Amino acid sequence: MAAQLLRVKAPDGRQAAASARTLGLTAAKTMREAFADVPRFLRLKLALLGGAFRRSPWQVVGLVIASLYGIGMMALLVGGLVAARFVPDVTSVRSIVIVVGAAVTTGFLLLPLVFGVDDTLDPRKFALFGIPTDRLAVGLAAGSILSVPAIVLAVCALATVVTWSHGFWLAVLALISAVLATATSVLAARVATAAAGFLLDTRRARELTGVVGVLLVVLISPLVLSLSNVDWGARGFSIMTVLADILRWSPMGAAWAVPADTAVGRGGAAALELLIAIAMLAALWLAWRALVAHMLVTPSRSGEVKTYAGLGWFSVMPATPWGAVAARSLSYWGRDARYWVSLVMIPVIPIIILTAFAVVHAIPGTYPALLPLPIMVLFLGWAAHNDVAYDGTAIWLHVVAGTTGLADRIGRLVPLLFIGIPLIVVGTAVSVYFYGDAHVALALVGVTVCELFVGLGLSSVTSTLTPYPVPKPGDSPFAQPQSVGAAAAVVQGFSLVVIIVLSAPAIVFGVLGVFVDPAWFVSSLWAGLVVGALALVGGVVGGAAIFNRRGPQMLDAAVKAA
Amino acid sequence: MSSLPETPPEDGPQANPVSPVEPAEEKPASAAKKPAAPRAQKPRQTTARAPRSTAASKSGGTSSRSSSSGATAAKPRTTRAPRAPRAKAAPKAKPTPPPEPVPEPKPTALGIRQLYKRFGGTIALDGVSIDVPEGSFYGIVGPNGAGKTTMLSIVSGLLRPDSGEVVVHDVDVWKQPEHAKRLIGVLPDRLRLFDRLTGAQFLFYCGTLRGLDAGTVKARVNDLVAAFGLEAAVGRLVADYSAGMTKKIALAAALIHSPRVLVLDEPFESVDPVSAANITEILQKYVAAGGTVVLSSHSMDLIQRICDRVAIIVAGVVLDSGTADEVRGQKTLEERFVELAGGRKAAEGLEWLHSFSE
Repeated sequence: MAAQLLRVKAPDGRQAAASARTLGLTAAKTMREAFADVPRFLRLKLALLGGAFRRSPWQVVGLVIASLYGIGMMALLVGGLVAARFVPDVTSVRSIVIVVGAAVTTGFLLLPLVFGVDDTLDPRKFALFGIPTDRLAVGLAAGSILSVPAIVLAVCALATVVTWSHGFWLAVLALISAVLATATSVLAARVATAAAGFLLDTRRARELTGVVGVLLVVLISPLVLSLSNVDWGARGFSIMTVLADILRWSPMGAAWAVPADTAVGRGGAAALELLIAIAMLAALWLAWRALVAHMLVTPSRSGEVKTYAGLGWFSVMPATPWGAVAARSLSYWGRDARYWVSLVMIPVIPIIILTAFAVVHAIPGTYPALLPLPIMVLFLGWAAHNDVAYDGTAIWLHVVAGTTGLADRIGRLVPLLFIGIPLIVVGTAVSVYFYGDAHVALALVGVTVCELFVGLGLSSVTSTLTPYPVPKPGDSPFAQPQSVGAAAAVVQGFSLVVIIVLSAPAIVFGVLGVFVDPAWFVSSLWAGLVVGALALVGGVVGGAAIFNRRGPQMLDAAVKAA
Repeated sequence: MSSLPETPPEDGPQANPVSPVEPAEEKPASAAKKPAAPRAQKPRQTTARAPRSTAASKSGGTSSRSSSSGATAAKPRTTRAPRAPRAKAAPKAKPTPPPEPVPEPKPTALGIRQLYKRFGGTIALDGVSIDVPEGSFYGIVGPNGAGKTTMLSIVSGLLRPDSGEVVVHDVDVWKQPEHAKRLIGVLPDRLRLFDRLTGAQFLFYCGTLRGLDAGTVKARVNDLVAAFGLEAAVGRLVADYSAGMTKKIALAAALIHSPRVLVLDEPFESVDPVSAANITEILQKYVAAGGTVVLSSHSMDLIQRICDRVAIIVAGVVLDSGTADEVRGQKTLEERFVELAGGRKAAEGLEWLHSFSE
């Protein structure tokens, strides 16, 4: 296109008028050509979405439930936006729309970066079709409108037209802004996804995205904390107004602010915001087009390869089958980001709990100090309930080598014991320090040991009996497995409930000890230790027997999930 | 190739008196980690295969190639016990000097009998029976989707058959799996490895899972790494390996417990020619020492070159099997295969392909 422009512009003044006409024609033709493939890409995206419904019945049920949920949310949002039309306090509506709109657009930009979305319309997949870059860029951007979040966003953005329908021209302006805001969000998501897919192409980087995401959650929790300390009833709207006045100048909020500021009579500011919004969209388009052009000629990269000396955990653990499985599990817990997701959440739990209690002041005194540790251990004990699935099809080695179920089951539990026992010791000490009564340590140990052991025993059974699909090795920990059935939710829920039910005696005795008579603490300890030990031994022995019989079935499940 | 018959078969009787000496030699030698291969003592084969004693003396030599047989030598002697009776039977055959093919049937290393397997509506195996004699290099060929991988998965204990039985050295794979699995080394196709381990860790893992002690495993890992040329890669994660290197380390892992039967699904796929030649040599020595190899491949040339027996499977049925020469007759194996597999489709109807678009 640039070459054409140069060629047309080259003649001198005499032909200026003619060349200007030619230029206009050329531009129109280029535009037409660029949009030529749009229907095709829309059909492709529809077919991809439809493909999701051609899977197992359970997945379709899940999708239908998700869709109903999405439609319900959308109806609520649209209803709210339409109702806002009749709220007399236009200033407050303005603030809320700007702040929420800016947050949504930012979300479209950031979420793909954090979660490393699996991109069905990755430009690189079209590299071999020889489609001109402009047509491809337009087509792929158009195709991405046909996704659930984008459709919800588009409908809500259109609903803001009703919100601002205080006059005909204001509604027209709102319509233009809605289109701008939707296009900006969708294109921002495209650019972010492409950049994520392109910059984070190596295995290691892919694995890190999820961890970065969790760290982000941890990092913004102070912000959430400070926001949650605000007395929203009294000062909420003034804070929203302050935020809105900042965000309306940001590229993310500008498009949402145009009709809002016009409605409250700030026409000059609105004009400037419109310029910012258009400039943002143009910049995103240029970035998107450049990314597509670059990605088409840059297939994929391979990361730097790290070398390790020695045998690592294998030289620490005994050279027996169970020791080998334990060393392998420990190496994986250390190297594979998919395992970290379940661990990284564990230190976040006490922060969230204590924050929540600090905010609402629901429980008086030092009682909250007793809550985090049992909940952390509950999730730790639960973390291995699908352990075999994380091996993927590599489980063939255990089947072929005739690994006994006992060696496999015990080996897989070692990492959790390595984490769990120090956690219980340190956690009990810290909890007792903040609670202020050393006797409670008995109950804490009873409850947490019970939870951990029941969890490990249960994991020994569920991981061989009911493996469900997880992200494949090397994928982002948050990548959607190819097929997730309702089985996953059932197994997850069931195993949590069983851990809690079997730990109930220890928990109940512990609670009685706190509120009725400290003598109950001893009962709690014994109840926890006995139930935990029985569950652990029973689970490991039972799981081992199942493992011995189910080798081929486990491999079959792994092959189907891959 | 050192395993090819270099000594005339008449040496057999001469070599025989040597073999009683060997165990005596072996005890002091075993401390040196590379004793004469115990397999060498079993003069099972009466045909023109390399006499055991020569193979052993060669492996006792220095070349790194011999390390695989050196590795097998380090295996505890207890697992050798079942072979003792056969060693007695062999001397009877010894006095017959003629080197011509003696039609005495060798014992079956791997018996596949009437295997049936169906997946939903498709029949993958429709009554497959194959008899793999001990010490043979058996090639399974067939078009895509013929059921080769299904059959090899059943043989290695990874897939349960609908009916039929698999017997490895008189042990039923599906009735006595623990025992059978010790006798088999497996290289599956298209299954992951535990690839978050380094190459050294992976091999060590495979060895200890098989119940070998740490010293044995470390010695064998070193030998295997040298034999497969993986020295530079042992410290890297298997996930970072190329496809060919992954194949090589998986093959090395299949050998680590010195199995009596190797079941290899596509062992040469994406392996470079030099490595393929190395692997072929390792496998040929293994067979010469009395081991049995069953492999599948799409490379007819390779099968014709290295396998002494062949089975052609099409659509879950064995269409032909036997020695490589019997199966191919006057033709090449490829011609015979194409003939059995339903012939080639004449490349018609693609004329537009020859009028190029731009």
